[in-house]
Amino acid sequence: MQSFSLAAFIVIVITAMVILIFRDWRINAIALAIQYLAAFVLVNLSWPITIAIIKLIVGWMATTAIGLTCLRQMSTEQTTESTSSLFFRGLSGVLMILIIFVLAPELQEKVFPSLDLLIVQGGLMLFGMALMQLGTNSEPYLVIISLLSLLSGFEIIQAGLERSTLLTGLLAIVNLGLALVGVYFITKNAEYEPEATTDEESPQ
Amino acid sequence: MTLATPYLWVFFPILMAVLSGIFHKRELLSILLASLSSFALALLAAFFPEDLTLEIGPLVLEFNETMTILGRQLSVVYEIFPFIALIYGMTGLWALSSGFPNTPVTFRPISLVITALFTAAMGVEPFLYAALLIQTAVLASIPILSQPGKLSDKGVLRFLTLETLAMPLILLAGWLLSGVETLPTESPLIPQISVVLGLGFAIWLCVFPFHSWVPMVSRHSAPNVFAYLMFIAPTTILVFSLNFIDRYAFLRSLPNLEQTLRFFGTWMIVFGGLWAAFQDNLKRVFGFLVLLETGVSLLAISSFQNGGLNWMMMLIPARALGFWLVGFALTALENRNGELDLDAIKGVARRYPFLSSGVLIGLLSIAGLPLLASFPIKSILLSTTFAASTMLGTWSFIGNIGLFLSTLRILAAMITPDEEHLSEKWKIMEKPLEYVPILILTVILIILGLFPHVFLEWITATLTTFTQLQ
Repeated sequence: MQSFSLAAFIVIVITAMVILIFRDWRINAIALAIQYLAAFVLVNLSWPITIAIIKLIVGWMATTAIGLTCLRQMSTEQTTESTSSLFFRGLSGVLMILIIFVLAPELQEKVFPSLDLLIVQGGLMLFGMALMQLGTNSEPYLVIISLLSLLSGFEIIQAGLERSTLLTGLLAIVNLGLALVGVYFITKNAEYEPEATTDEESPQ
Repeated sequence: MTLATPYLWVFFPILMAVLSGIFHKRELLSILLASLSSFALALLAAFFPEDLTLEIGPLVLEFNETMTILGRQLSVVYEIFPFIALIYGMTGLWALSSGFPNTPVTFRPISLVITALFTAAMGVEPFLYAALLIQTAVLASIPILSQPGKLSDKGVLRFLTLETLAMPLILLAGWLLSGVETLPTESPLIPQISVVLGLGFAIWLCVFPFHSWVPMVSRHSAPNVFAYLMFIAPTTILVFSLNFIDRYAFLRSLPNLEQTLRFFGTWMIVFGGLWAAFQDNLKRVFGFLVLLETGVSLLAISSFQNGGLNWMMMLIPARALGFWLVGFALTALENRNGELDLDAIKGVARRYPFLSSGVLIGLLSIAGLPLLASFPIKSILLSTTFAASTMLGTWSFIGNIGLFLSTLRILAAMITPDEEHLSEKWKIMEKPLEYVPILILTVILIILGLFPHVFLEWITATLTTFTQLQ
């Protein structure tokens, strides 16, 4: 079981890096689906499979909704990106991985002593990488994928702390709601026909 | 026959929202369904008998305050009815005035759902599950903030991101707090809980530096939609936050709690007021006004040991009506005039005197102009802050002055005609449906300002639900 969980953790790190580095929606959708499978394995360490599988089903439903909408609405052309931007995002991802590896043991000892270190590391990894992703782009579908990853990371830790049917149900609603919001944004942007130039404004 | 109160104030409005949504193309029917059901729920909450028994002819309906869902409890308790009456009354008022072309047709059903979700958030046990209900309300609000036909603006995405970040923090704080009603002052849990909880609430309430989406969203959304959301969300979250101070003695007795809240309150007032003074767009001014009002509420909570919570509650109806008036007048003005930049509104008071007055009176009422609704409470609040700290009191005063300056700039722009309309005479171009609500609201705001204890004090009964904060 331990090696299975370790494999799931490694998959989480790889998929989180893939989502952070690449901008192609096809690669990201596949990575997100695999990430949900790995997250399910870690949730299964705390919950029985009958409840843990809800997370997987909800995650895959959310991924399918976003993936199918992208397939319908977004350009099929390959987007080319400069090597330097890929390298920069990869480097920031590696930095985040290092930070998580340094912080997780202490956090587990002081805040989550009842949790397995692998669970804490897996949850924080998704949370941290999603934060990094949110900080480096403002593309609606990437923001939604990052938020889904972030919630997935939180749910891995939360599953070890509390088991509640209502909480699971409400989190499923929030995940599916986020996916629907993503679908709404993608569709809206694809159908947008500019009438006037939109101003890029500062918040202050 | 026995029913549970959540059926009335949580599930029934969702059902009405579905009906209102089905008939969204029949505007009048949709408006009537949403507004009448909201007003009915508000009246029911305001006049519900204390024994929770309704007798309608031969039919006797007995109500329980609590129902069980999936092993957890959902309650709408009698003590909170004044607040429920206010939020449903205001939702009805917003739904009633949602017939403008620049207001999304989905606003009526979605606003009902959001109010129902916030009502549920006030009464779910364990109360930290409220974070998930609030997040659901945030998700529901996206279609009315980011309308079809317009490019998704960054402000809405930022709003969604930050609110989603707050939810795990509050749930985590809930887990840290579980089973620790009391803690010794030297417990290492106290700083952990304080940081997580403080961060969660700061994000929810758009406290600096998590405020940036507010003016961005206000700039791009319909003013009445923005006004509704910025009334219902921060107000309910603030009342919900009292649960923490009420239940956990160690939070009440944190050594720097009052000073910290007072500092952030003042900071928000200064930030919101001064930035509002330099804005060139009326909708962005409204955004900064919301930040200022959050600061005022924090200032009121900071004096919770000296009656500050009563002032916070009494400010809520005054603020709600002020927000409604500004939102209504700005929506109507945008509908008539198009742009709401200071350059674009030059001379509009000569064509639309009532709409212009509505904007100005609403802003001045919220800013605390004497004779208007917020003045009596704000003057007490500023005096108390001044007594507690001369420096913070002075800065709060300066922040409020910023809002007055902003209003004066808007007044000057509205009455000064541009070169094309120099010879234009004053005329009334509004329809009765546009100016009658403004006149009525103006009279109400003046009455509230003259008799605050008669017309504002009823809502403080909500505080009886927080037994440790009496």
